[in-house]
Amino acid sequence: MSASAKTWLERIRALPLDKADGRPIKIMNVCGGHERSITMAGLRKALPDTIELVPGPGCPVCICPEEDIFEAIQLALHEEIILVAFGDMLRVPVNVAKAEARTLEQAKAQGADIRPIASPTEAISIARDNPGTQVVFFAAGFETTTAPVAAMLAEGVPDNLSILLSGRLTWPAVAMLLDSGTPGFDALIAPGHVSTVMGPEEWEFVVKDHKIPAAVAGFTPESLLAAMYSTLRQLIEGRCFLDNCYPQLVRAGGNKSAQAHLATTMQVVDANWRGIGIIPASGYQLAEAYRSHDARERFPTYADDARKRAGEMPPGCDCAQVVLGKLYPNQCRLFGTACKPRNPIGPCMVSDEGACRIWWSAGIREPAAQEEREETLA
Amino acid sequence: MCLGIPMQIKSIENYTARCEAKGVSRDVSLFMMQEEELNVDDFVVVHVGYAIQKISEQEAQTAWELYDQMLAADS
Repeated sequence: MSASAKTWLERIRALPLDKADGRPIKIMNVCGGHERSITMAGLRKALPDTIELVPGPGCPVCICPEEDIFEAIQLALHEEIILVAFGDMLRVPVNVAKAEARTLEQAKAQGADIRPIASPTEAISIARDNPGTQVVFFAAGFETTTAPVAAMLAEGVPDNLSILLSGRLTWPAVAMLLDSGTPGFDALIAPGHVSTVMGPEEWEFVVKDHKIPAAVAGFTPESLLAAMYSTLRQLIEGRCFLDNCYPQLVRAGGNKSAQAHLATTMQVVDANWRGIGIIPASGYQLAEAYRSHDARERFPTYADDARKRAGEMPPGCDCAQVVLGKLYPNQCRLFGTACKPRNPIGPCMVSDEGACRIWWSAGIREPAAQEEREETLA
Repeated sequence: MCLGIPMQIKSIENYTARCEAKGVSRDVSLFMMQEEELNVDDFVVVHVGYAIQKISEQEAQTAWELYDQMLAADS
């Protein structure tokens, strides 16, 4: 690799970064892995205070619609099935009366057969090992996770396996922020593994349509700092282009085989994001030819239309604002008080990719002052 | 869920590779790597049990150093 983290920091510090309006330059990342590296490496403190690093929509667990989790819980409780899901999803709470199961974990404690898995291949193994039982794979995730689900389907799955799909695309959330006119960031660090799969070209719209500097980054402090340096240089020079600071993995066009599996087995549809609402062309549903493996078609619906609304975060929880980069995690009114990893209220404190959970793991435990929150929201 | 782990291929059978990292062995699907020529001893980045890209040995080492630091910070 080229320069060390120290060298990149020196280069960034040497840049003329003072903005005329005195406002810090905000660089958003949209990947839980990036946020984890930034926070664990202490990059915020190491950078000049003219730069703010904003965690954006980078946690698929955090934006998985409440109604999808509710449906998974109800399916597991009321049907004779085995429900499998990525481990992160098991602790995400939904809004129900106290006596009811709030999470998949609680539904499991009430007797539902719910099993955490780490790979779609485990869903296939469980279905093969239990041929007389219907197995439902509750599959939430961004493109990096949805592509393996597509590959699994394309390779062929047992008849008794169906998918409760909650896949999302990352770039439409960034497009929504940019189209809003108040994106809340001046430059973008594009996600490394999403770009590995889908190709970096997906992020060209940021520089071409919105004139916002962007760079794809890997997960080392060096790669992240290189991407930050690139976007800052672009800002200073008034010349935007999509830089690739993760060439080891991110190649032009991305992973064609993964994209082919996605195109064969799924179609892109408008989709709900928890606490945010419908984002056009931001979700996946199974393609017609694979609809027989759609759990929503195979089982009675437990979807509750009344749940499909934007304000579906728990009372007082600011996860939606945190996901959109409008508030920092410790500026949520519940952070570190009512909401902690052991007893999370909002999804951002549950997932390893949730910004609240990451900040807590890095030792940030104190809620921010009310004035700070109001200043950020202003 | 987006974390990719570098692993080394130890054997390949059809679209499944036995891969190893840090002494841990796992079966990894190569179904998303059909456009890439892969051989035993190659390194791949694995995400939820599927290889998503081939990488060099040096890059695999760099990534592991980072994960080691993260794991140490988390524990």
